[in-house]
Amino acid sequence: MTTDPSNLVEGAPTEVNPEKDVQLWIGPQHPGITGNMSMQIWVRGDEIRLGRTHIGYLHRGFEKLIERRKFIQAFPIVCRICVPEPDTNEYLLAASIEELAGLEVPEKGLWLRTLVMEMSRLAATIQALGGQAGSMGLGLVPNWTYTLRDYILDAFEELTGGRVYHMYTVFGGVRRDMPDGFKERLEETLKLIEKRLPAIDNVVFDNAVFQKRAVGIGVVKPEWVDEMGISGPTARGCGLPRDIRRDFPYLKYGEIDFDVTTHEGGDIFARSMVRRGDIVESIKIIRQILARFPMQGRFCAKLPNMLHWEVPKGQTFVRAEASRGEMSYYAATDGSDKARRVHVRGPSYVHAMSLLERMLPGTIYSDMTPMMVSMQTCPPEIER
Amino acid sequence: MSKDDEWPEIHGVPDVPGWSHPHQPPAQHCYLGEGSKPEQLAYQEAFAKLKNWFRANSLSVLAYGTGCGSIELRPLATSRFDYERFGFSTQGTPRQANLLILSGYLSIKTLKRVIRVYEQMPSPKWVVGLGSCTINGGMYWDSYATMKQLDLYVPVDMQIAGCMPRPEALLEGFAALMTKIKAGKANGYIDYTRRLDWYRENQKKVIKDWDLPEYNW
Amino acid sequence: MTMKAFVEELSARFEVLWTHAQRDDLFQFGVPAVQAVPLLSYLKAHTPFIQLTHYTVVDWIEDGEFQMTYLLTDPVGRRALMICARIDRETAEADSLYKLWPQAVTYEHEMNEMFGIHFPGSPRMGLDFCLEKWTNTPPMRRDFDTVAFVKEMIPERPGREFITTRDYIGQKVGEKRLLHDD
Repeated sequence: MTTDPSNLVEGAPTEVNPEKDVQLWIGPQHPGITGNMSMQIWVRGDEIRLGRTHIGYLHRGFEKLIERRKFIQAFPIVCRICVPEPDTNEYLLAASIEELAGLEVPEKGLWLRTLVMEMSRLAATIQALGGQAGSMGLGLVPNWTYTLRDYILDAFEELTGGRVYHMYTVFGGVRRDMPDGFKERLEETLKLIEKRLPAIDNVVFDNAVFQKRAVGIGVVKPEWVDEMGISGPTARGCGLPRDIRRDFPYLKYGEIDFDVTTHEGGDIFARSMVRRGDIVESIKIIRQILARFPMQGRFCAKLPNMLHWEVPKGQTFVRAEASRGEMSYYAATDGSDKARRVHVRGPSYVHAMSLLERMLPGTIYSDMTPMMVSMQTCPPEIER
Repeated sequence: MSKDDEWPEIHGVPDVPGWSHPHQPPAQHCYLGEGSKPEQLAYQEAFAKLKNWFRANSLSVLAYGTGCGSIELRPLATSRFDYERFGFSTQGTPRQANLLILSGYLSIKTLKRVIRVYEQMPSPKWVVGLGSCTINGGMYWDSYATMKQLDLYVPVDMQIAGCMPRPEALLEGFAALMTKIKAGKANGYIDYTRRLDWYRENQKKVIKDWDLPEYNW
Repeated sequence: MTMKAFVEELSARFEVLWTHAQRDDLFQFGVPAVQAVPLLSYLKAHTPFIQLTHYTVVDWIEDGEFQMTYLLTDPVGRRALMICARIDRETAEADSLYKLWPQAVTYEHEMNEMFGIHFPGSPRMGLDFCLEKWTNTPPMRRDFDTVAFVKEMIPERPGREFITTRDYIGQKVGEKRLLHDD
């Protein structure tokens, strides 16, 4: 059997020899696979010849469900597309339909949306850094990072009412105002995270075992980035400063001062360093938001009756920067009270399918899991 | 051999045909005739209680995140909520685990793999359904790709409601499961062996791509 | 140059049916289906719009057509073009992009399974993507009724009652105080 001729790199094997190559299924139940997807690989000795990603284990038919619900009823559905970072999806649905309907969000609502987006990015990036260390056997670091994420989830619970799924963003703004004393408590949490970063440096980045297993492994070439649509830490780890918050500014990112972290090399180590830089930048951004936050004003625009709201016909495309990369929504409406088509494109659509299949030939089998984790593959956003 | 209908349900000891009971003297099999019932020996109930106590306090959870609810399983393992003080631990393969936590909805494709994994686990084994999607389909009630009632396909011993349940709710559910095991009532795995035909019929109705072995309990 | 002027230059080479400026950085225009792949190859080779960010299809069942939507991004210039082409719903065939962009294989694989569109030459046509051994109509088409499918094929736990929003609110506030008529 042969591979897709479109996805070849120089020198990669094109055929599988059934007498020499062993087919392995790394199935959905495996402690090394992030989430619930499976890999079918052909191995010769220790070296992978070809790999193919199989998904569909988390398919719920989201887009069909969204088409059957009124616009406001789609929020609880949409935040369950990506579990560690649900706010990006909520914002994108709200932004796309608001653009088609011509709805304006007041200032305070924009600031609150930016705060929630950045908090969820921070939580997901911290979790990813821990997951990367855990995939190499440094089991201490995931425990730290899950605890830090728990503190951020406590802040979410105070602000929005839910730990994991917030359903906080609605059309025209957000659902609730910021409670009193929230700023001080969030600042304490940010200080805790900053205090833990040197320890993570010691255990992870200065660790000879991690460096041996991460430097030079899972290399993504810079010329693939623009062609394939790679984004996020995977693209910034190749040295290209691609960040949707800088390139296509949305919400209040145009007014906030932050740097885009890049690192040369394109390997797992570079991507982890980019994530570490992202954590520092996210803390900086949240501090600026809390300092410039307007205490007065409406947090949500005056909405018409949401159960009978009809949006004029049109189509649009909105993007946001999730912790993994560029998440984008394509929305098409037809003038009725339900959406005609909402198509979710997660960053893992390219990272875990085409990019992984391109990177796998020639790698050693035990490097496959760290590679997959370094791109932060999140299967539910591939198959929704 | 005596008919197994006449054997009473001894506390904690399953009366499945073909099982050998190591703590029961083999002489009892031969000397029973029609219409006689074996006496429950004094130590059997105490032994069964001890066995159940050991089992309930050392559950090994299979690391399988089938759905959204698995995001709250990792915080459980950290020291804030700490399920290890109840004796829980995590295993990587189904052959070494005895608790299967089905966290959330199951698409039909995953259901086939879950059945295979469940059948690979050695007895005694228990299943916990997390979230409201295992109870009645949850918010994906009109989805063409998810199953709506987990009870029909795999025997469930404890259902924890919520969407998704907090770690404290999970701990409460686990404590209820442990109580149930200690009382000898969590016999879903025995139910699976007895009513395998019924489960298979339900499974084959939804899973179109059936290629699992027929008799594997 | 502005996007509008850019597309006007393109219309000298390719037939542009309609244009619409959605935002400052997003410009939409429609082309006939046969011109889609030549236009995209030209854009990839000779203009800065080199990245295929999104590739999807919308089912306009009342017109009997599928609308293929291609989204190209200029990562350096920070702008995007949305190109729409309509194909016939009955034949449901469109040209494949996999030789231009490798990630198009996944998009076409999904559209093949979800909508039943055939892309001649694209690898993985006819293979399973998310669903196993699906023999019904492709599920994302508008004529596939998912509730009827669920009622027929997947057993549910009895006891769930369905109540419309109007009746639920009517129970709470009294029928006379309801303002709208459905």
